[in-house]
Amino acid sequence: MLKLHQSYPVFFLLILFIGGCKEKSAPTDSKTEEDKLVQKALEIHERVLTLDTHADTPLRMIEPGFDMAERHDPRETGSKVDYPRMIEGGLDAIFFAAFVAQDIRDDDGNTRAKALCLQMIDSIVASTQKNSDIVGLAVDPDDAYALEKEGKRAIYIGIENGYPIGKDLSNVELYFEKGVRYITLVHSSNNDLADSATDPNGTEHGGISDFGAKVVGEMNRLGIMVDVSHGNDSVFYDAVKLSKAPIIASHSNARAVTNHQRNMTDEMLKMMTENGGVVQLTMLADYLREAPPNAKRDSAVAALRANMKPIGEMTREERTALRKSFQELNEKFPNPPATVTHVVDHIDHIVKVAGIDHVGIGCDFDGGGGIEGVFDASEVMNITIELVKRGYTEEQIRKIWGGNLIRVFKEVQAKAKEIQSIEAS
Amino acid sequence: MQVAAHPLRLSLCEIEYTSSKQLLTINLKLFLTDVNEALVFDPYSKELAFCQPNESVKANQLLLDYLNQFFYVKANKKAVELQIKRKKLSGEGENTALWVYFEYQQPAPLTSLEIKNAVFTDLFFDQNNIVYVHVNGKSNSLMLNKKTAVHQLKF
Repeated sequence: MLKLHQSYPVFFLLILFIGGCKEKSAPTDSKTEEDKLVQKALEIHERVLTLDTHADTPLRMIEPGFDMAERHDPRETGSKVDYPRMIEGGLDAIFFAAFVAQDIRDDDGNTRAKALCLQMIDSIVASTQKNSDIVGLAVDPDDAYALEKEGKRAIYIGIENGYPIGKDLSNVELYFEKGVRYITLVHSSNNDLADSATDPNGTEHGGISDFGAKVVGEMNRLGIMVDVSHGNDSVFYDAVKLSKAPIIASHSNARAVTNHQRNMTDEMLKMMTENGGVVQLTMLADYLREAPPNAKRDSAVAALRANMKPIGEMTREERTALRKSFQELNEKFPNPPATVTHVVDHIDHIVKVAGIDHVGIGCDFDGGGGIEGVFDASEVMNITIELVKRGYTEEQIRKIWGGNLIRVFKEVQAKAKEIQSIEAS
Repeated sequence: MQVAAHPLRLSLCEIEYTSSKQLLTINLKLFLTDVNEALVFDPYSKELAFCQPNESVKANQLLLDYLNQFFYVKANKKAVELQIKRKKLSGEGENTALWVYFEYQQPAPLTSLEIKNAVFTDLFFDQNNIVYVHVNGKSNSLMLNKKTAVHQLKF
């Protein structure tokens, strides 16, 4: 896989070069088929709207001193998205998710969650205002295209975890007014809206609660997309039944390819087709492939542990030295990574089961997403390259990279207008 | 955001102060696998058995030794002494969390908090530690990590 990110301006220089050659002769014979495919992919990547529906970058925005206008080294800092890397990767639009960790579900907890969520939303808005020469806040589907024409990145806002709604339905409209255009109903634990796929206590509401149903209705009325990622299977089925508009899974994969409870079954994928919604593929290694065994590392680690002094007898220096030895083993025997081929395996499967109109991309950068070849926002063109290699056409890639999500977004807004006009009459 | 097997390296810290109660509380939520890796070099070790009937007598001291290296809270510029008030486990498997709770009397009005939270940055270059601060009904959130380990808030 090309590591285009290693040369900062390579992507656009190459595009300019390709653009300049368009009117001239065909590629020379010396170019390999691979080179031609890559060139074709980069041209497509430049032409289509590229939209990532899920990044937890607002968590970075609350890091004191973090500047979205600066380029950060992901292998040094862990940061996966900033504006220079969006430009570098040709990523046109992104949903930044305001995330609040699930905590106590009482009035105090809900009040705090709301304050923290509003702080995160304000951080997103402030970041777009501070960098208005290169990005713009987007609230409507067409804003992404308008901003793209201006040469700016579109920044949309989502909320990951409905916890900050608390038990107050009016908060949904408050968040809408702030620019929020999707809400992930639940996160790692059950909340007052819905059951989580990963709550150790299991189901509490049997899917979406009565209050959660009202929240879905309010989201429909306002034009906020209903996001079922992180919900348990019943949440998906309830959302399909309850929502008057198509739904999304902002960052989920296919369970038939990788058996993980956060991924979607083929039955769900088929229902997504009927619903008209979209599943946005995510770059989380454990959702993309089952981690293969790493016997060499395991045996080297076991040998090191067997020769350790008792923990209580170690000095701080000895502990530091031992830590270094373990880290050296991890570097010597790294786990086989998830790659962009795994990503497109999932896309292939969803296209086969649900159809080309129901798949998109939601990388979950800064929330655990990032794999070999798509480690950060600067490398997202590698998805397009793999799609082209597998024979996807420009029109299909346009749908995957944003067209499908924008279609759903428009339908959600159209349904909201319809509901509001019925209410007004 | 990922939750299963937490490849996102994350911890949560909640600091709360209410002047009417004159109480400063600190609640750390740490993945148990990270704690075990940090303390005994084995994420799945049962040696320390936190919050189990057979919890090791050295468990608390090892945990405090570690936290004192990577974590502190200074109230009005004075570091609080880390003494564990209580602990609990929540969740299952890879997602099991160890909650560590500290509590202090803070009679003087709180004018500043300085927080260092670099827990597990010795293990993972991309460890991030979310800190929620709730002081007299106002909430604030921060992200601290290896690069930005310390931050001060004034009230």
